[in-house]
Amino acid sequence: MNPLLRRGWFDRFVMAALTLLALAWIAPLLWVLALSFKPNEFLLRHTDVFLAPPYTLANYLDILQTSQVFRWLGNSAIVALAQTAGVLVLSSLAGYGFARCEFPGRRLLFALVMFGLAVPAQSVFIPLHRLFSDWNLQNTLAGLALPGLAAPFGVYLMTQYFKAIPTELEEAALLDNASRLKTFVRIILPLSLPAQATLGIFTFLACWNDYLWPLVIATKPEMYTLTRGLASTQTNFAQSEGLGFLMAQAVFAGLPALTLYLFFQRHLVTAVAGTGKS
Amino acid sequence: MKRFAFLLCTALLAACGSSSDNSGKTEITLMRFFGSCDAKYAQVTNASEGVGECGIITTLVNEFNATNTDGIVVRTQIGEWGPYYDQLTARLVAKDIPTVAVMHESALGDYVRRKLVLPLDEDFARIGIDKADFTEHAARGTAFNGQTYALPFDTWAWLWHINTRLMKQAGLMQPDGKPRLPHSPDELLAQARQFKQRTGKPYFAWAVANETAANDRTFLTLVAQQNAQLFAPDGKAIHMQQPAVANALTLMQKLYAEGLVKPNLDYAAANQAFLNGEAGVVVVGTWTIDQFLRESQKDDSPLKGSYTVVPFPQLYERPAVFADGHSWALFKGGATDAKGHEAALKFLKFIWDRSAEWSRTGHLPVRRSVANSEAFRALPLREPLAEITSTGIAMPGNVPTQRAIELLIGEDVANLMLSAKPVAEVQASVEKRVNTALKKARR
Repeated sequence: MNPLLRRGWFDRFVMAALTLLALAWIAPLLWVLALSFKPNEFLLRHTDVFLAPPYTLANYLDILQTSQVFRWLGNSAIVALAQTAGVLVLSSLAGYGFARCEFPGRRLLFALVMFGLAVPAQSVFIPLHRLFSDWNLQNTLAGLALPGLAAPFGVYLMTQYFKAIPTELEEAALLDNASRLKTFVRIILPLSLPAQATLGIFTFLACWNDYLWPLVIATKPEMYTLTRGLASTQTNFAQSEGLGFLMAQAVFAGLPALTLYLFFQRHLVTAVAGTGKS
Repeated sequence: MKRFAFLLCTALLAACGSSSDNSGKTEITLMRFFGSCDAKYAQVTNASEGVGECGIITTLVNEFNATNTDGIVVRTQIGEWGPYYDQLTARLVAKDIPTVAVMHESALGDYVRRKLVLPLDEDFARIGIDKADFTEHAARGTAFNGQTYALPFDTWAWLWHINTRLMKQAGLMQPDGKPRLPHSPDELLAQARQFKQRTGKPYFAWAVANETAANDRTFLTLVAQQNAQLFAPDGKAIHMQQPAVANALTLMQKLYAEGLVKPNLDYAAANQAFLNGEAGVVVVGTWTIDQFLRESQKDDSPLKGSYTVVPFPQLYERPAVFADGHSWALFKGGATDAKGHEAALKFLKFIWDRSAEWSRTGHLPVRRSVANSEAFRALPLREPLAEITSTGIAMPGNVPTQRAIELLIGEDVANLMLSAKPVAEVQASVEKRVNTALKKARR
C-alpha cells in the first residue's frame, strides 16, 4: 500500500497543502523558464503564456555569442571556489579555537565576531571599496574574492558544530600523544564534514550570486563575474523590449548553482538536520 | 562528477584567455549603457545598418574603429543602466577612469561641480565642433557657468503615443486625420471621460507602479507648462506650496481616481497595454517610437496602422515638456597622455559628424542642422517632435543630485495616485524630503 495512503487524514491534508505551497513557490521559476524560450518581440505583447508557441533558442544563443561570457563564467568559478575554500579554512580554524581552546578574551572576541552578523554588508561598502582601491585591488580576482573571507556566520556555524562533538574523542587522541593540530586535522575535521558541506554550499552560492560587490570592484569587462557581465548586456529597457533575453540570462546564471546544489543536496540536508545535535 | 569537473576546468581555462593585442595603437575606453548586442552587430562596421540604441551605438564604434586612419581603437566598457553612476563613481574613486563616458545631462552637473569633468570649449573649436549648431536644449544641458562640459548626443522627451483607432472610436479624431488633443485640464478630463464611455477603456496607460520616473516627468511637465518655478534661483530649495503644484497634482490624482489611467501598471505593463489596444495613450519617452512603429506595421497587431506620437500637449499657458539628454563627457585622468586625449576628441568628432544616425532611435537630434534637415523630418512621425529641441524643460543646472530628486518626487506622486495620498500631504512630503536632500548635497 502507498505509504501516503496509510497515513491519517491530517497528514494527507498537510501533504496536500505543502504540495500546493511548493507549486506556488516554483510557479514564478517555471514562468521564467517558459519566457526564456520566447522571442523578445512576441513578449512585448504577451507575457501570460507558458507552453503555447512560439518557441526560440535565440535568447540562449545570444548569451553564448556574447564575446566574454565564458570568461565571466570562469571568473565566477575562480572567485566562488577561492572564497569557499578560504571561508572553510578560516571558519574551521576560528570555530575550533572558540569551541575548544581557552585563551584570554575568548568570549569578548567571539562576541565581536558575532557582532559582524548584525552589521549589514552595505553599511561597510564604501570604506571597503576605498580600502581595496587604495590597495590597487580594483579589477583583480583577489579584490573580488577577499572581502567574502570575513564570514561571521561561518565562524558561528563551525563553533556550534565543534561544540557538539564529544570531547572524549579529542581526549583519547591527546592521550595517544597526538598534537592539538593533528587532533584537529585527523579527528575533528572529518567529523565536521556535513557542516563544512553546508557552509561551503552557502558560501559558494552567495558568492556566485553576488552582484553588488562585483558591480563596483570589477569595472573592466574582462574582470566581470557572470552576474555582473550578464547584467551589463541588458538594454536600458530590458524588462520590456528584451524580456526573453533577460529571463534566459536568469536561467543561464542559475544553472551552475543549481547543478552544484543537486550534487551536494544530501550533504546539505544531513548537515542542517545534524547541526546542534549533542 | 567527472563531467562536472571537466566543465569546471574548461571554464577555468577559458577564464585564463587574454584579450587581443592592440600594441602600437592608441587605445581609449568608452563607458556606456544601452546594452550589448554583440551577437548581432559585433561584425557590422556601417552605422547605417544598426537598429535601436544598442545596434546604432555598437555599429558607430565599430565603424570608427574600422575607418579611422590614426590607429585609434575604442574599447567599449558597458555598464548597466540602473546602477550606471554607482559604477562610474566607483571607477573614479579607484582611478580606473574611462576616457569617454556617456552621461545624462541631469547627472552631468554633479560631476562638473566636483571638478571631475574636462571643459571642452577650446577642444571643440579646434577640432571643428561648432557649438552654434547645438540645439537650445542641448546647449543648456551641457553648459555650466558658461562652459561646455560634454558633447550632446541626443535629447529625449516625454511624449504621448496615441492609438488613433481607439481615438476614432471615441470620436476624438479631427477631420484632418489627426487626434483631437486637449488644450486645458478640463478639456483633458472631458475627452478622457468621453474616451472611456465610448470605448470602455481607460484613456491613459502610464507606469505608476514600481517606477518613479514617469510620475516625476509628467508632474514636472505640468508644473512647467504653468510657468511656475519649482526650485529656488540658487537651486538650494524646492517650493511645493504654490498653486501650480497643487493644480498638477490634483489633475493627476483626478485622472487616476476616475479610472482614466489604467491602474497599477509598471513600465513594461504600460507599454504592453498600449500595444494590445487596451488604452488610448501611453505616456512614455522618445525611445519607444521605433518599437511602436514596427509593431504598428504588423498585421496581427491591435495597433496596426493606427499609431501616432505627439509632444506632451500644452494644457496650460506655455508649451513645455520634460526633456533630458545623453551626452559624452571626458574625465580628468581618463586619458593618460595628450595622444589619448586627442584620440578621444577624434572619436567625439566622429560621433558628432554621424549624429543623424542616432536620431533613428527616436531620440531627438542635438544639432540644429540635423533637426532642420529633410532627412530627419522625413523620418516617420518626427516632424512634430522637433519643437521639443527648444520647448524641452529640465531641472535648472544648479540643482544638485537631480536624479535622486526625481526619485523622491516620483515616489510621492506615485503615492498620490496608488494610495490616494492627499495632495497637501504630497506637497509637504516632497518639500521636506527634497529640501533635506538638497541641504546634504555637495556643491
